[in-house]
Amino acid sequence: MMEQPHSCCKGAEVLLNLQPTSSVSIQYHPFFGSHDDLVLLELDEKLLSDVLYQRVTLRGQPDEDAVLCTKSKTYSVKFVGTSNSVFLIPPADCSTSHESGGENYKQQVATASVIKVAPGNMELVEVAPRLDKLKSILSENLYSSDEASTAMGDLYKWDDLINKVQASDDELKAGLQALSAVEIDGYWRIVDEKYMDVILRMLLHNSVLNDWLLDSLVEDKVVSVLESDGFPRKLVYHCLNVYGSSVEEEAMGGGVWRLDARRVCVHFARGVLREGKRKMESFMEEWLRMIPEEMQPSFDMLEGEVLTEKIGVETWVRALSVSSLPTTPAERFSILFKERAKWEWKDLEPYIRDLNVPGLSSEALLLKYTRRSQPSIDAEPVFSAR
Amino acid sequence: MQIQVKCSCGAEKCPEWAIIELQGVVEVQPSFQHSLQNLQIGLLCRPSSQENYTFTVGYHELTGSKVALKKPMVVLKKIKYMDVATSSSSCVELDVVGVIRHKILFKTRPTALISGPQPTVKEKINAAGA
Repeated sequence: MMEQPHSCCKGAEVLLNLQPTSSVSIQYHPFFGSHDDLVLLELDEKLLSDVLYQRVTLRGQPDEDAVLCTKSKTYSVKFVGTSNSVFLIPPADCSTSHESGGENYKQQVATASVIKVAPGNMELVEVAPRLDKLKSILSENLYSSDEASTAMGDLYKWDDLINKVQASDDELKAGLQALSAVEIDGYWRIVDEKYMDVILRMLLHNSVLNDWLLDSLVEDKVVSVLESDGFPRKLVYHCLNVYGSSVEEEAMGGGVWRLDARRVCVHFARGVLREGKRKMESFMEEWLRMIPEEMQPSFDMLEGEVLTEKIGVETWVRALSVSSLPTTPAERFSILFKERAKWEWKDLEPYIRDLNVPGLSSEALLLKYTRRSQPSIDAEPVFSAR
Repeated sequence: MQIQVKCSCGAEKCPEWAIIELQGVVEVQPSFQHSLQNLQIGLLCRPSSQENYTFTVGYHELTGSKVALKKPMVVLKKIKYMDVATSSSSCVELDVVGVIRHKILFKTRPTALISGPQPTVKEKINAAGA
């Protein structure tokens, strides 16, 4: 219950603190009207403090449905109408309600004024961040080896991305990480795969030349050698980030890095398949030839990256990377079923593992977007389009 | 485009607004349509120490109670202004001007009061809603 330092006989306070055997006159406010600029937003208690402490923003382009973002989550905003009459009563503006004189004193009837009849309220539903746009805008201008000579199209700084992409700050950062984007001169860029290939190969070549161990690469050495070979420093670090993980920092010589076998092997597999599908034997032969000696490639490293299909007696391999697929479930499943009409769970799982729909488990996703069939009792279940 | 959601009154001082909700529509007699300011809609009474309320609108009496909202609401005010700094088109901001945690809800059909003066404001049962 609110303590009023002075007796306020008007507005929401009177209504909310109405004492037993008391009454209050409900009136139309002097400024009663449609007040389209006043909207009600319903939210979970846990979001309330984020809103009150100014930690949320609305994001979106004029042609998009607005989303509300906290630091780490994204919510769609929807209007829900009501057929009831919802009388909205503001607190009294007590500064104007006090007039001097006894005349007013004896007329002090409690009143509460209705400023507007609300047609409904806004509701929030947590949604996955809309990151497909991030990928498409950053792919407009890939950073390549001939960067200096390429025409400068639209480049995006962090603030530009916030304005264009409907995601919270944390989700945007995670999205940039997932795309292996790198910030160069303040602009977020995706580096062209062919250029990354050149840098990686140079790194591996130098490792052989200088007897570097691929699971303990000394950052400073790697960077200085590759820089003297003409690669921008930023990109050498980026290469280490994309294909490796940092190991415990050494006291001297800066960081130490370990190249990740899976990431390196996937990179070369994609390179082999860039021009199109290959017969399995031909693919394996070329792929194995490119892998550094110290690494043991295995075909299951390529789950979520390649598809195999039997054409006649031959097995063919072609590239299909989960990272190239849409992040929204409906579109993801649509493309997957175009690529292949029927999927066994073990093949399908890597391609939907990353799907994120708040409130929907992977079983629920399958139920919603696929048709499950089982040819016979002991056969593997098969998923196809609904 | 990013619209900041502000709370210019300050989080701790954000005032509580109230809602009276009823099924149906309140109608104002035609002659009073253009002078609504300060026109009484009805009288809200709390007869006992319980959170039960009666609301008398014209010759109808409604009974209801004060309930806590399952989820709180905030009252947002849209503010449009010209951004002089960037000299671009109008900017929009949202300001949290209030919080709502309770409403006085009338869910039942009104009872008619037999005696009483001709009302300037009367409650009409919404045929679809009731």
